[in-house]
Amino acid sequence: MDKGSLLHGVWVFGDYRNYFQNRVTLQLIAKGRGLAETLRTRVTVLLLGEAVHQYAMEYIAHGADVVMVAEHPDLKCYQVESYTNVVARWAEAFKPNILLGGATSFGREFFPRLAKRLRTGLSADCVNLAVDPDTGLLLQTTPAFGGNLLAEVVTSQHRPQMATIHPCVFKELPHNAGAVGRVVYPEIEVKANTRVRVLRSRRQQVQRDNLQDAEIVIVGGRGLGSKNQFKLLFELAELLEGEVGATRPVVLAGWADEERLLGQTGKTVKPKVLISIGTSGALQYTTGIKEAETIIAINRDPQAPIFKMADLGLVGESSAVLPLLLETLRNRI
Amino acid sequence: MNIVVCIKQVPDEPIIRIDSERMTLIREGTESTINPLDRVALEAGLHLRKHNGGQVTVLSMGPPRGEESLREALAAGADRAILLTDPAFAGSDTLATSHVLARAISRLRPFPDLLLCGMKTIDSDTGHVGPQIAEELGIPQVCGVNKINLEEDSLVVERLSDGFLDTVKVTLPALISVSRECCPVRSLPLGALEIAFSQGDVTRWGCQELGVSEEEVGLKGSATRVRRLLTPAFTRKGEIVSGSPRLLVDRLIGTLEAVGLLDEEDG
Repeated sequence: MDKGSLLHGVWVFGDYRNYFQNRVTLQLIAKGRGLAETLRTRVTVLLLGEAVHQYAMEYIAHGADVVMVAEHPDLKCYQVESYTNVVARWAEAFKPNILLGGATSFGREFFPRLAKRLRTGLSADCVNLAVDPDTGLLLQTTPAFGGNLLAEVVTSQHRPQMATIHPCVFKELPHNAGAVGRVVYPEIEVKANTRVRVLRSRRQQVQRDNLQDAEIVIVGGRGLGSKNQFKLLFELAELLEGEVGATRPVVLAGWADEERLLGQTGKTVKPKVLISIGTSGALQYTTGIKEAETIIAINRDPQAPIFKMADLGLVGESSAVLPLLLETLRNRI
Repeated sequence: MNIVVCIKQVPDEPIIRIDSERMTLIREGTESTINPLDRVALEAGLHLRKHNGGQVTVLSMGPPRGEESLREALAAGADRAILLTDPAFAGSDTLATSHVLARAISRLRPFPDLLLCGMKTIDSDTGHVGPQIAEELGIPQVCGVNKINLEEDSLVVERLSDGFLDTVKVTLPALISVSRECCPVRSLPLGALEIAFSQGDVTRWGCQELGVSEEEVGLKGSATRVRRLLTPAFTRKGEIVSGSPRLLVDRLIGTLEAVGLLDEEDG
């Protein structure tokens, strides 16, 4: 194997366990391509598991230059320690400049351990990546201070520069069956991990997600004041044939189930219209709605940050506006 | 069973106020509390102690005022509280923070059987420190756990991960980070809080007690730097309307009609 051509590249962890993870990997390959072109290097995807080589072609068709494969029965289950051992050895041998992974449950458990093993920095749940034209450093943009600001993080002295990336912030490249890439099988040493054993792993029922498919999404925040006020949103959703979403404080208060949670730790929605009521507009939440085509916000505080990202900001008491809106719609339909 | 629970003190308010000129946190007037998921971890630890005996030690790294959260933990029933505080710790990223916590844990005798923490914090939300402590101590980890059962010298835990419900057996010692479903959280009786704040004992360890040099911690021991803070950029129309509820409702309905999601009313 020509080791020289594999050195100092942009690496992406190949997370293939379900459709969603697969998509985030493809999104990172696309972003990685852009970074690699600026840095005049290659994009390599790391693929670990048992009989996983079929994914290698998929990654190449979506833009990977190289896929590094480790196949072993003991890598079949996603396993933080075994995966850390394999990837850390590869990183020590090939010295990647950048190592990216999706901020999935597994990515967020695996990358911190790997970063610590490699004694390097890691930024969490990034919403943008770029190469600084002056220094060539990876600029990692991540929500900070509870999501009210964005922090631009750099790892200047340590390598690789590691980051987990929020799903759906980058677009994948179209599938190109004619793309050419290399599949390599570097040496691995896998010791059976007897400390952590997955006894059972059951796929949870995948339900069609009404919230993510909806053309109208109505989101309530804690500014609504009470669970009873929040319940009015369901009535509104029924009248408009939309779905109801919630912010983190609302879920914590028990007004809505976690499955309605939008934002950084919840879902991302892209409806035609999003109506945001009694939400202040913390970035943790707005990360999940920024791709809505039109955003209408209702809040009593004219200074609320949500108005900065709304197409139409209505300054008023939701307790007065909501009942009147419901009444008006009922009379029309 | 000897259990260590790592907790972080975080601002109590869901919205953190920022001084937009200086790009800093406004700390005056903000109440602090134990990070909600760390509170769940503490309850899980106390629950295990109740059924299996042993001791629960709480650890927290932070400024001196972090002592308040440790006193809350004592009031909840923890046996011992240690605050890891030193001016040299300021500016630590997760690599440096996990180093300080791991060094403190490795000084405990006997070495704990179980380390617990929340799967992430509400303020910085990285979830890195737990796995990084486990890595430094060379022990296994399971993150996002919603159920813990003790079986002799191992734990059988359940966790939801990327659409899979995993049942995982992990040998002790181990680090477990918990999700909200792991354990209900009791509210603290006022009396217990009063006792913890007037009589509770919080040990303080700094660089010297931990045997770490200033190079290993704080900004010097960190691999990441925040280069600058940005306010999110928005490219919306940003029309702001004030007025009577009637006016607001009419504008809202007009917008829905304009984008074709509501039929325009006849006449």
